[in-house]
Amino acid sequence: MSEFLQFLVAGLKNGSIYALIALGFTIVYAATGAINFAQGEFFMLGGMLCVSFTDLGMPLPVAAVAAIAATAAIGAAFELLAVRPIAGDSPLRIIMVTIGGAVVLRQLALHFFGPDERALAPFTEGASLKAFGVAVELQTLWIWGLTALAVVALALLYRKTAFGRAMRATAIRRDAARLVGINAGMMVTVAFALAAGLGALAGVAVAPLTQTAFGVGAAIGVKGFAAAILGGIGNPITAVAGGLLLGLLESFAAGYFDPAYKDGVALVVLLVVLFVAPQGLLAKAGRVKV
Amino acid sequence: MNARTLRALAPLIAVALALIVPLAVSDRFLLKVFTFCGINALVVVGLALLFGYAGQVSLGHAAFMGLGAYTSAYCTVELGWPWLLGFVAAGVVAALGGLILAIPSLRLKGYYLAMATLGFGLLMSLAFIQAEPITGGVDGFSGIPFPSIGPVEFRSASSLYWLVWGAVGIAVLVAHNITSLRPGRAMRALHGSELGAQACGVDIVGVKVRTFVVSALMAGLAGALYAGVVGFISPSLFTLTASITFIAMTIVGGTSSLAGPILAAVALTLVQYSDALIPGLPRETAQTIQSYQEDIYGLAIVLIVIFAPRGLAGLWKRRSAGNEAS
Repeated sequence: MSEFLQFLVAGLKNGSIYALIALGFTIVYAATGAINFAQGEFFMLGGMLCVSFTDLGMPLPVAAVAAIAATAAIGAAFELLAVRPIAGDSPLRIIMVTIGGAVVLRQLALHFFGPDERALAPFTEGASLKAFGVAVELQTLWIWGLTALAVVALALLYRKTAFGRAMRATAIRRDAARLVGINAGMMVTVAFALAAGLGALAGVAVAPLTQTAFGVGAAIGVKGFAAAILGGIGNPITAVAGGLLLGLLESFAAGYFDPAYKDGVALVVLLVVLFVAPQGLLAKAGRVKV
Repeated sequence: MNARTLRALAPLIAVALALIVPLAVSDRFLLKVFTFCGINALVVVGLALLFGYAGQVSLGHAAFMGLGAYTSAYCTVELGWPWLLGFVAAGVVAALGGLILAIPSLRLKGYYLAMATLGFGLLMSLAFIQAEPITGGVDGFSGIPFPSIGPVEFRSASSLYWLVWGAVGIAVLVAHNITSLRPGRAMRALHGSELGAQACGVDIVGVKVRTFVVSALMAGLAGALYAGVVGFISPSLFTLTASITFIAMTIVGGTSSLAGPILAAVALTLVQYSDALIPGLPRETAQTIQSYQEDIYGLAIVLIVIFAPRGLAGLWKRRSAGNEAS
């Protein structure tokens, strides 16, 4: 039983990280209908920037906020420089530009931060909490808390503010949103910034537990996408559910079968969902008709 | 000689130039570098068919190269098969891999197809590491024999060069036939508009699957050639990074062209070996270029897609079209 609970905790911990990255995919998809293949790099940038900022002597909370803000700015710049010139073009070109952009971001991180793995101090020092024979690291609580906070803040932004309503209007129908005076272009830039910020938040929150390095973006990006599509792309609630579900699947597969399978689980889930139900398992999205 | 005859003669001149390289180059390392160019060109010819003609994308082509390389290594070393048989087996396994991925991917377009190939590529990279009894795991697979066909063994640098570029030549012939005949028109129609192609009676499912299988086959054969030329393979060769390198070569080369992607494959491969190409280049400079090699690939993809979406081949065609008009 305690073994089961321990796997559950580990699964929900990683699942929260996947949920944040899946939300990033979802926000950009909702705003543009595009998949950003560089989403994982924002996770990497968040972690690496935070480590570098603490190296410069910033206190951890300041460094974390600065890293998330800086990554959000990079996300906005990425949209303006690379994606904007071909906006609305064929998916093929957007795939290529975001893949190429991902390589550039990763290489910039390599040149700036070096090739070594870096670690971040835990947000709060202290022994793990123990209950029912399960140990929960304090950082895991931070991850859950920050994920929940981000999801609630995002929901409030989208539902309660005029700005959020403008974003949703743009996502539903771009031309109509323009007609009522919404700056649709800016909404897309903001969507990229938000997605990058969420990715960076995940990168910062998990860096004390797993070390980070310049090359971690691609693998986590694919996992985040697997989570997003597991829930059905475009829906923030199912994206979070997909993230948690993927984390649990991974954790139980690694725990009960073989740790070597852990990284394969997300890839198998990705392929199976794409092949069997590309509209997602949790959402009832309509199939695209010709 | 006007531009048109020049263009008709260009392939022959290119072949002649490629054939005499080993006679003109005595440096064995440099010759090996040109051989690697040929191996990459072979992968890129397949990708050019898939991407540049049919408008489909694969972000996992290194996986097919790996499938071919490991199949050839396993068949020749562990099973003791003749090299040629292992080479054929490599092609068959890679093509089967392509078929297994292509059939369920049929319903997928654009982003989802790209993600499926990316996921497949990453999954295969894991498999190459985990399937230790067959692949040797992270330590790799060594002691792979040189290629041989019957009694002829390809040992010397120049014979390997001819073998590889001979394979490229055959691949180009095959690809040229595919693109200039009915299947090529079907592929181009697919690139233009899938719906339109379907309405004109193009079997879009068949075209997609066949193109994907042919491109996987070429990548697999390239992998088998690499294993024979170098004698050692490891999972680090067949990663996402390698797949993106091939994509960069294909995009820079341009769509609806074979010559462009081949030239780009050669040029971008040479970036990795600047020290062999320019004698007397200081070691540090060569290392700096090498450390920025992936930046070059990534930037090349972004800039070409934004500013010259038809690639170098598109720029060249536009220029020569302008010349003929004037």
